[in-house]
Amino acid sequence: MAAPMELSCWGGDWGLPSLHPESLTVMAYAKFSGAPLTVNTINNSWSTPKDVPVLISEDTVISQPAKILNFLRKQRYNADYELSAKQGADTLAYIALLEEKLLPALLHTFWVEAENYCSVTKPWFASRIPFPLSLYLPGKMSREALNRILLTRGGPPLYSLTEVEAQIYRDAKECLNLLSKRLGTSQFFFGNTPTTLDAFVFGFLAPVYKVCFPRVQLQEHLKQLTNLCRFCDDILTCYFKLTITDG
Amino acid sequence: MSLVAEAFMNQLAAAEPWPENAALYQQLKEDQILLSDNAASLAVQAFLQMCNLPVRVVCRANAEYMSPSGKVPFIHVGNQVVSELGPIVQFVKAKGHSLSDGLDEVQKAEMKAYMELVNNMLLTAELYLQWCDDVTVEEITHPRYGSPYPWPLNRILSYQKQWEIRRKMKAIGWAGKSLEQVLEDVDQCCQALSQRLGTQPYFFNKQPTELDALVFGHLFTILTTQLITDELSEKVKNYGNLTAFCRRIEQQYFEGHDKDGSAAASARSAKRSESDPDLNKIWSQIFTPECFCLAACQMPSSCKCVTHLGVQLVELMR
Repeated sequence: MAAPMELSCWGGDWGLPSLHPESLTVMAYAKFSGAPLTVNTINNSWSTPKDVPVLISEDTVISQPAKILNFLRKQRYNADYELSAKQGADTLAYIALLEEKLLPALLHTFWVEAENYCSVTKPWFASRIPFPLSLYLPGKMSREALNRILLTRGGPPLYSLTEVEAQIYRDAKECLNLLSKRLGTSQFFFGNTPTTLDAFVFGFLAPVYKVCFPRVQLQEHLKQLTNLCRFCDDILTCYFKLTITDG
Repeated sequence: MSLVAEAFMNQLAAAEPWPENAALYQQLKEDQILLSDNAASLAVQAFLQMCNLPVRVVCRANAEYMSPSGKVPFIHVGNQVVSELGPIVQFVKAKGHSLSDGLDEVQKAEMKAYMELVNNMLLTAELYLQWCDDVTVEEITHPRYGSPYPWPLNRILSYQKQWEIRRKMKAIGWAGKSLEQVLEDVDQCCQALSQRLGTQPYFFNKQPTELDALVFGHLFTILTTQLITDELSEKVKNYGNLTAFCRRIEQQYFEGHDKDGSAAASARSAKRSESDPDLNKIWSQIFTPECFCLAACQMPSSCKCVTHLGVQLVELMR
């Protein structure tokens, strides 16, 4: 029916189909809505696209998760058609909450925390980017992450990086608690079928949950929220058909 | 602030009741304040009205610099200074007043999520329009932002602020957006708010909460501020229940109070107006010779001369 669609994104490890939150969100949504996507993980080829994930369909090239999801919806792959208007509005609100409160801590854990970055993130990403870009690109991504954290959260009265870090982790833990309360005991956020919100939450939580970092305060907090862990594991087993292994 | 310091501040806050002379500081209303700051200030005023806590609005040209976080508005209560809606809500809660106590956990999570939605989309769109849209910047923002200061300081300060905001927009990925895309995001946000509000009087049915105050602050300001084009306010006007919501809150909480409650103004021009006669009086007071000697001043607590302003500022900072 639709033209063949290819998704270019970062690959996975530690039992996840992708380590990159945005790529994971798009892949999860595609599984939920049944969109036939061919996934090309970036692996040492010279065509490392700038904004990942990227969807290529015939001549259209679309780059951000929100736009890719809109495109899939227009192609009739819609995971949200059973939602009421209010639930659709709730989706937008919770996605904003994730981006404001959880994303800075996620970026920090992956790209700014020195031990994590040097021992896990940088080697992993560098091994998938061709030389000599592998010497430059991870450093650039790290600087961009730090920049984003400082510009959005780093103003007065927080004057040092340690204070900013303390604040963003506090916000992230509060955000995880709120998500856990909202999920409660149900299987997905809006009943029994997964929707856009589930894709976004899964995309943000699964990397924190699964990747083995040396400094893991966010992961430890997440592991105490058993319903969120169960949520991630359910999606992995049902939709990604991977066994849950620890890296 | 560390957890210990925050707990200590809460203890201090809880110790005293809300005083009569609490003040809310913002920039000059007629000439200087911008769309986003006005929205934030109105949101805080609405919140305090909803909690029945009296506060008087004080307009100062340097409000942004006096604020502990660099953002307006901030409130001066007793001997504490708190800025921005989030910390002010926490502060007021420590004093024993809260609008969201009646909500259950899931509703509280929803309220926080919607407040983030407003901050993420509406506020960022307002900042984009003010600082990244060239026409608006040239005709409205630059003249207004630096209006209390002489040349070249006015240009330097507004260029500095513009550079700062554009850096932030670039970091969050909004720099590449066009005005149409930003307006579409505003539309999406308003649609979500409209769908959530439905036919209820407030977002959480019977009682207003801080979310209602925040949404009112932003939407009312968008509806009543005149910009280069009406596109932004048209987006909000498309949703009848949102305009009715704004009108309802204005009638309930702002009418009948003194005209310092800025909600009484409608279609206020954002262009530069005549110089305020009050401002001239203040300027002449600043150079009142009596106050070079602090002891000679007749009314030290309300004196606006430069020496006493300095003393008051030091008191505020403490």
